[in-house]
Amino acid sequence: MGGAMDDVPDTSGDAYDLDELLGAYALDAVDADERRRVEDYLEVNPRAAAEVEAHREVATMLAFTGMDAPDDLWNRIAGEIGDTAPPPGPELAKVLSIDDHPKRRAISRIAPWVVSVAAAAVVAFVAIGLADRADAPNAPITSALEAARADRDSITTTLVADGSSASAEAIIDQDGHGFVVAQELPTLPEDQTYQLWGVVENGDVISLGIFGPNPEIETFTVEGAVTALAITIEQAPGVISDGNPDGAFVGAF
Amino acid sequence: MEDVRREYTDASDAALVVSIGRFQQAALAEAYRRHAGACFGLAKRLLGDHSRAEEIIQEVFVRLWNEPNRYDPERGTLRSFLLAHTHGRSVDLIRADAARRRREEREAREQADGGYDIAHEVWDLALAGHVREAMETLHPGEREAIELAYFGGLTYKEAAEQLGEPEGTVKSRIRSGLKRLRSELGRAGVGVGAE
Repeated sequence: MGGAMDDVPDTSGDAYDLDELLGAYALDAVDADERRRVEDYLEVNPRAAAEVEAHREVATMLAFTGMDAPDDLWNRIAGEIGDTAPPPGPELAKVLSIDDHPKRRAISRIAPWVVSVAAAAVVAFVAIGLADRADAPNAPITSALEAARADRDSITTTLVADGSSASAEAIIDQDGHGFVVAQELPTLPEDQTYQLWGVVENGDVISLGIFGPNPEIETFTVEGAVTALAITIEQAPGVISDGNPDGAFVGAF
Repeated sequence: MEDVRREYTDASDAALVVSIGRFQQAALAEAYRRHAGACFGLAKRLLGDHSRAEEIIQEVFVRLWNEPNRYDPERGTLRSFLLAHTHGRSVDLIRADAARRRREEREAREQADGGYDIAHEVWDLALAGHVREAMETLHPGEREAIELAYFGGLTYKEAAEQLGEPEGTVKSRIRSGLKRLRSELGRAGVGVGAE
């Protein structure tokens, strides 16, 4: 029967060997088996992980050639990602895939309290993922919002914060288009921003978008299972992970 | 619109990535402007093939667009992140293609036989002098091992075979050489990230 120790890589006997591999690993100069052993080791050894990053920074200095990328390459990249900007009007917040999240994201600082709020929640079956920008609602935002409200398959929640009388309403329709009615939220200083987070089925907390200091009706798109949403207050332009739990507005579905 | 472009021009790499996460294509364009040249140069050197290097760079930047959360500014610079992806994907291609790998090994051997030429790769940089001086402080075996591994795309075992040295020696030389480089660059005032 497996125990807790089964999850911990056995690195005690060969830590020295693994340390010696860090330089080669940073330069992709190890074979597949060694790569797996080193990556297990890095998971439990922050010092070794920091050393690898330092080696990669050194390699960065060596790699720079001063060369320009081909002129037409950017056009091909722009073509692949879709050369249309987000539709005018409400800006779609980007939703990050849950499948390939770095493990560290699962221990986002806001996770415990958001998850506690969501503990009794009904899981909403919407898949979170990268939304097709072609599916973005083009109708005026209020019309789209009202349509979502009228849709019996939409799910809603009210986001509230301790010590605040303000709240925000969140609605996600059956197609995964989300709306946050956030006019009640206090206006922040210009160097701060509201940021939306979603809690997915495995408890990970994922950034869903940045609303700026004075949000109104904001939109986002999801394609996965969400149990709760949170709006945090961050320094502009926002953070990639580890949202600030102080003063956060939270609501569970 | 000019204000927007100016905003991105002045933005930090971390801020660019946040904006990329908000579908701001102009932010990706600015990241491309800053770092694609370095990535392309590295991929072209590794692969020896212009079109394959372009494919790698396209893949790296499309991935940044699709998965900006993979970059963690606390763990290093965006350039280091993108170069690491470029190097990793280039090496994957090399190792997946036996014929190409043999050619690369041959080129790497010729390069090693020809001696240290890192200066040629960075001559047009303001940092070239510092990098060259730092490389010159390395033991010749450290230099050869790093060149074969990083620019030759070889594993340390393959580099050891090529150099006729024990595998453990080459493995240690790569690590010690990188540490020495970092120390020397730091001494010269060239910050290369905190360990």
